[in-house]
Amino acid sequence: MRPLLFLACLCLTLPTGAAEPLDLAPVKKWIARQDEFRTVQADFTQTRALRALRSPVVVPGRIWFSTPNSLRWELGDPAKTIVLRKGDTYLLVQPAKKKAQRLSAGNIGPEGGAKGFAMMEFPLASDFAEFQKKFEILSVKTEDTHCHLELLPRDAQARKFLSALKITFDTKSGHLISFEMVTRDGSSMRNDFTNVRLNSKIDRRTFDYDLTGIDVAEEKN
Amino acid sequence: MRSKLRWILLAVLAAAFVVAGLSRISFNVEILKMLPTHLPQVEGLSLFLKHFAQPNELIVTVESASPEAADAAAEALAAHFGTRPDLVKRAVARAPWEKNPADIAELFAFMLLNQPPEKVREIVAGLGPDKAAATLQASIEKLTESISPQEVALLSYDPFNLAGAMATSGLMSGTQQSEFSSADGTFRVVYLESAKPFANYKENIAWLQSIRGAAADVKLPAGVTLGFTGEPAFVADISGSMEWDMQSSGFVTLVIIALVFWLCYRRARPLMQLQGMLLLIFTLTLATAGLFLSELTVIGVGCAAIMIGLSVDYGYFVYQRSLGHTGSVRELQKECFQNIAWTATSTAAVFFALNLSSLPGLSQLGNLVGIGVVIGAIVMLTVFAPLTMRFRRTAEPHHESVIERLFASPRFLNAGAWFTLALVVVLVGALFILGVPQVDFSARTLRPRKSDAYTALERLQARLIDDRNVLSLIVSGKNEAETLTRLQAAEGELAAAKKRGEVKSFRTALPVWPVGENQRTNLPLLSPLATDLPRLKQAVLDAGFKDEAFALTDAILRQWSAWSTAAPPIWPTNETSRWILRRVASRNPDQVLAMGMVQPIAGHEDAVTAAVQRPGAWLVSWGQLGRELKRVIPQEFVRVIATLGAIYLVIVGIGFRNVRAVALFVVTTSLVLVCLAGAMSLLGMTWNFFNLAALLLLLGTGTDYSILLLLALQRNGGDAPAAQRELGLVICLCVLSASAGFGTISWANNVGLANLGQTCALGLLIDALISLFLLPRAWTLLHPKRMPL
Repeated sequence: MRPLLFLACLCLTLPTGAAEPLDLAPVKKWIARQDEFRTVQADFTQTRALRALRSPVVVPGRIWFSTPNSLRWELGDPAKTIVLRKGDTYLLVQPAKKKAQRLSAGNIGPEGGAKGFAMMEFPLASDFAEFQKKFEILSVKTEDTHCHLELLPRDAQARKFLSALKITFDTKSGHLISFEMVTRDGSSMRNDFTNVRLNSKIDRRTFDYDLTGIDVAEEKN
Repeated sequence: MRSKLRWILLAVLAAAFVVAGLSRISFNVEILKMLPTHLPQVEGLSLFLKHFAQPNELIVTVESASPEAADAAAEALAAHFGTRPDLVKRAVARAPWEKNPADIAELFAFMLLNQPPEKVREIVAGLGPDKAAATLQASIEKLTESISPQEVALLSYDPFNLAGAMATSGLMSGTQQSEFSSADGTFRVVYLESAKPFANYKENIAWLQSIRGAAADVKLPAGVTLGFTGEPAFVADISGSMEWDMQSSGFVTLVIIALVFWLCYRRARPLMQLQGMLLLIFTLTLATAGLFLSELTVIGVGCAAIMIGLSVDYGYFVYQRSLGHTGSVRELQKECFQNIAWTATSTAAVFFALNLSSLPGLSQLGNLVGIGVVIGAIVMLTVFAPLTMRFRRTAEPHHESVIERLFASPRFLNAGAWFTLALVVVLVGALFILGVPQVDFSARTLRPRKSDAYTALERLQARLIDDRNVLSLIVSGKNEAETLTRLQAAEGELAAAKKRGEVKSFRTALPVWPVGENQRTNLPLLSPLATDLPRLKQAVLDAGFKDEAFALTDAILRQWSAWSTAAPPIWPTNETSRWILRRVASRNPDQVLAMGMVQPIAGHEDAVTAAVQRPGAWLVSWGQLGRELKRVIPQEFVRVIATLGAIYLVIVGIGFRNVRAVALFVVTTSLVLVCLAGAMSLLGMTWNFFNLAALLLLLGTGTDYSILLLLALQRNGGDAPAAQRELGLVICLCVLSASAGFGTISWANNVGLANLGQTCALGLLIDALISLFLLPRAWTLLHPKRMPL
């Protein structure tokens, strides 16, 4: 029922499209560089401009990533929500509420759980062909060292609720500057990354969490 | 003059009988109608097909390499059919709630109304003047910290978090599967509901043709391919092919019989008379079936050719005897009566005895062929015999046919015996080396060989919803409360099975099932909330939400108020609710049903099915049906064949009053069955529901050859060559005609029916060879001094 209601809530506006000739060179170069990033650490500011709210909500956060698929995502300061990914398992922790939920990556749909909002796959794609298979590129604009990329996932389910994914990256270093999801109801969630450190050492314990005293819910049927 | 009037009156009565009977003929394409209704899988699947298969809903599949083209095509089709109310009541290419998001509020209100009263009290408390602000603040916090887009989107439009009270598990929670589009968008589905229910299969076929025509008129993007499936498409495909199989096999059998007759006798008039008799028998039998039997199933369709193939035997016999007959018509009838009555009685008795079976399909087959055989015998004796005599008096003298000349030759009889013996050795050897034929009770044998509807369904399963390994949970009760109790019990069993590692996942209708008791308690708490709408809206705005954030809450509270005078159990009724519930709930005045889906772990299907199975609850699938049939049907056939065998033995025993003759009959029949099994193993054929029925047909038809031979031996004082000469032509004609009858259904569109035809044709040929060439030899060996029977 909840997913239905969720979809119903999103069915308020129509998706947009673009059809101008695109210069894909910076994107190809950026995708090609993804393999160079063994680790990524950054701070970010998340701005949620929800259609139903009069003013946007701004929350700080931090992210750690290590190849091939270890991730820690903290939202709030102190962290109110922590997402940990190790291999194919996600752990969603709410420290203040002493609650956690374990999910397998395969069961996290585009509109549910952790993947849709907080997570971006690192790397986004192994090569440009795979990138094009996963995303429709709506627009590419380059200003100085910033490239603004507007995408739409090809996945039909994701397209039901997303009208665009907006990514800005640094054409020199290849690091992410911002990542924004725009839903069909006009709401958006934007992450602006700062203090980005590439390929610096990350303590492996960063991707662990001591669950002592935490009520852990396993995946439901 | 009086005689002429009598014939005219008789013809008028027969015509009225035929018109009345044929107008009542109808087909039932439901394969389950042929299977024992007491089997749980049959019972459960029948309920599923009756209540959840959506008989008026056609599924149009739209496929393209480009998602945009598929989307445009689906929308164009839905728009076009939306303008054809003469054909389509509803054309749906997107979930209704995508078109009318506000509609979902009714279902939401309904589900909340079913929640336990303590949860509802929490909701009501959270909306109270003292708690509303805190509830809204908690939602704002969640909107700030949640990483789930689902939760954020939901809370944005549900600021009082009413959805939080609902169970997260269940039928629709977490489901990512769409019934409208594949993940990549290149495969789309449009659902078309017929403007009115179909009165019969002809209406169904005509409607589908109109839909195909209308779809062809829609300008679709290049590269888009359409498919048509769903119940109306299956009914059209199957009943259309049944009609064709029946007509074509009957027609081809008549043609083959004509050819065989012409090759043997080279006479046109008796040939036309015989064909006329066969048509008369066929028509009278079908009319009788229409008047006295229920709808024809696919197995009954195959009987058309079989009936003709069997009835012509009597015609051949009468005609052959008439050629050398010098007495009156009455004397010819009397002469033929003993043989025809013998074979017709034993054949009809065997076929009517199929009513002892618990398989309705076999009962119908038995009744149809039994009626056909009796009518055939009567028509051949009373109408054809006088005609042949009339013809004989005006015809040229009789010339011996090739077959008659062959059977007069001792060399041919010897060669035939050696050939048949060699064949028997090869077939018995094949059975010994290769083993008995495998058993196949899978759904494959119950389906048409070629069907556009099945092709489209396979694409649907491959691209959108793969339910091939899914078990359907069907729960039935007299009313909502009884069904709810059974649904809860089934859910408990499924949860336990999941813990035991037998089930991967399951979803039942429980989250959307009305709980009358909860509704009665909750409604007085929820319906007055509508009076607080202005206060609640102001609280939402004060908390920082916009007007639109309150729309859903507003609709839900108004819905509760609208239901304030309704008597539980309350069901939601708008278009979105009906669309969602149509596949999970079905209501009739005396029965309320719920459905669910279970994904079992491979190898545990039987265990889960047994755990859930109880009165009013079934876990079913076509695969499970196949397994159940494999367990039950062979035993059933053994029982029926043993009963029929016993009946036959009694009839034959009374007829022959000779132990050696009865023993020879039993050995011949057993040898035929053993050789048939060997031939099937050699040809890689398998046993299934249909060709097991072939065994019964063989008992009913093939044994006639050995009975006729034994009777001929009796007439000829034990002179085997004389008996072979006398019956060689007739049995050859009979076996060629009957094999033609069965052979023509070997190409039937229904896989099982085709298997039945192949098995019977093979069995009859073996039976005729053994009866004609080995049985007389065996008799000679047993009676070296030509003892009369």
